Amino acid sequence: MTIKSIGEYDFPSRSAQENYGDDQLVSVWFQNTMWFASPAMFRAPREMTWGDFKAQMFVPFAQEDPDYDPDAPRTWTLHGSPFEPEDGQTLSELGVRHKDVIGTRVAA
Amino acid sequence: MSESTQTPTSSRDVGMILQESEDNRPIIEAIEEDNPECSISHTPGLVRITAPGRLVVLQESVEEKLGREWETHEFQMSIVSYFGNIQEWDDDEIVIAWDH
Amino acid sequence: MTLAPEQKKTKKPKKLSMKARYEALTRGLDWEPSYVDKDEMFPHLDYEGIKIHDWAAWEDPFRLTIDAYCKYQAEKDKRLYAVLDGFAQGQGHLSLTDASYLNAMKIFLQGVTPLEYAAHRHFAYLARHFAGPGPRFAALCQSIDEIRHMQTEIHTLSNYNKLYSGMHNWPEHFDRVWYLSVPKSFFDDAMSCGPFEFLIAVGFSFEYLLTNLLFVPFMSGSSFNGDLPTMTFGFSAQSDESRHMTLGLEAIKFLLEQDEDNVELVQGWIDKWFWRSYRVTALVAQMLDYMLPRKVMSWKESFELYFEEQMLGGLFEDLAFYGIKPPRHVEDAIQEKELLSHQVYWTLYQFSFAAGFTTTMPSEEHLNWLSESYPDTFDTYFRPLWDKEAKNRENGGRHFAPGLPQLCQVCQVPMLFTEPGDPTTLCQRESEFEGEIYHTCSNGCQWIFEREPEKYRQAWLPVHQILAGNCGGPTVPDVLEWYGLQDGDAGEYLGSRDHQNWVAWQGEAAADTAAPSETKAGA
Repeated sequence: MTIKSIGEYDFPSRSAQENYGDDQLVSVWFQNTMWFASPAMFRAPREMTWGDFKAQMFVPFAQEDPDYDPDAPRTWTLHGSPFEPEDGQTLSELGVRHKDVIGTRVAA
Repeated sequence: MSESTQTPTSSRDVGMILQESEDNRPIIEAIEEDNPECSISHTPGLVRITAPGRLVVLQESVEEKLGREWETHEFQMSIVSYFGNIQEWDDDEIVIAWDH
Repeated sequence: MTLAPEQKKTKKPKKLSMKARYEALTRGLDWEPSYVDKDEMFPHLDYEGIKIHDWAAWEDPFRLTIDAYCKYQAEKDKRLYAVLDGFAQGQGHLSLTDASYLNAMKIFLQGVTPLEYAAHRHFAYLARHFAGPGPRFAALCQSIDEIRHMQTEIHTLSNYNKLYSGMHNWPEHFDRVWYLSVPKSFFDDAMSCGPFEFLIAVGFSFEYLLTNLLFVPFMSGSSFNGDLPTMTFGFSAQSDESRHMTLGLEAIKFLLEQDEDNVELVQGWIDKWFWRSYRVTALVAQMLDYMLPRKVMSWKESFELYFEEQMLGGLFEDLAFYGIKPPRHVEDAIQEKELLSHQVYWTLYQFSFAAGFTTTMPSEEHLNWLSESYPDTFDTYFRPLWDKEAKNRENGGRHFAPGLPQLCQVCQVPMLFTEPGDPTTLCQRESEFEGEIYHTCSNGCQWIFEREPEKYRQAWLPVHQILAGNCGGPTVPDVLEWYGLQDGDAGEYLGSRDHQNWVAWQGEAAADTAAPSETKAGA
């Protein structure tokens, strides 16, 4: 339904990608622990490599969990489907869009 | 349980919550006497009075307990919350009941 | 109050009856416009699609007149200020159960007081814009009530502000701090609706359906934790709340009776505003279960009593007569009563480094109370987290999330809620609108977003704004400074400024009452 209003009603998103320059927002969702109350949100360059994203954003956050094991193999999901990112690929090459959520769990 | 001539919908509980205070004690007593089917529960600082279908506050009974004049507007000083519909708020009585 | 004079029976007939006074002093003061037409005078009444045929059909069960209103409001204030004076003069704050109790009051001052002011403003707008004298006067009284609530809350809590952290900058906190965007966005959302939607949003969905959950158990909690001023203020405000509930209920019945076409609109608003209001109560749920040192009742118990029993069992049966159904997604709320407070507190616990209050780990006794109060969920899902945190603390840790949470686009709560029926999987809902994706925390919030995406895409989400660089700078200390937080406001309670002061003051009190030969206890 459209907004019922007393005048024209057309306002931009306050979180639109253009507010973040060459960067975008990316959330990481830890799926097999409830230690982190919600997914964590980061601002990352679209051209950041997966290896850098992991080292600079993911690991410093994840290791606050006393059970975090840096060597444990992990599985990843994007848009709900499994994906296998390579360290050299950039976020945009991997198809990670602005505000996407990357899921992760320790492989069974 | 006594035989009720009320329809099943209108016998659903209604209730009110009053502040438990010295000022309100006579009012609560009056409500208890005028609503024989009511039940009363307490949490710190509060009294919750519920009754099937209908609760009434009568000016005459409250005045008798208080030993002074009491206008029904004054009940606003006592009531903290209620559930049901205020069907009547007149000079001589306040009635809480569901409409349907 | 004067004692009954002997001639009371002869005095009575001189007064007009309540009905006649109400007719004369409220309805009788209305006038017909002469040099503008009614549509020009009340320009906002048509665009939402609500049809009103007869404004005179509005009933005010309270039959309130301005003289009666002023008389009793003045009396309520007199009682409150007498309590405040006595409490301040007697150093009443020392008889609180614990200084940590005041964390609940900090959230209350930061999150609820500004809502009172917002309500004051918008009920004044309704008092201007409704075309009938009955609802206009009821809205005017509520507008005055709301500003009185704001003022009395400020006065009540200013006594604590002299001695405790977290209460010195609440108006700015309300505009800036992340968790306060939850109540702020709720009310901004309501204030940007048309007059009828606002009335259903705040008058009915919030006041009638849910404020009992905010005020009643909470004020009992104040009473039980030695906070006489808050209890007195709370009951004083809540007695107005009965009138506000009546306005909300009267509003809905009036709209439903005026025209059958109104039913569908009203149902849509109930569906939306029940869920919006319910999400705001998430902050209250954790206050009840985690922030009161001496417990009154659990959130679950309170939800069952004040919402399920009174509203679903009572009110909605009544409204069924008009074809109104219980709110959409109410089943999700009922399921959540077992989880809500635990999930929300766990979140606040790990993000309180950026808050205007402190948190700490529940004691063993407290954990046992939670197990007893939530036999079906606490030991299975939440106690293990606290056990892990206990070990973490023993090892010198303290669980603070080293980053920012993803937020719900609609309620603005971190995405902490779980899938209905599955307490171990976070609920993620994704919607796309004009090429941008938006996340919501639940079926309820997603439904609200997709109904009016043009509205919710404008949301000022604190995390998105921090990351866009709009909140003082890129680092956590930058943001905390921009929030106006001071040392002692945020973080862990144990060892905080409030805690240290408390221990010292209690030690002095113990020393004062102990025999002179005994050594000082504590401090």
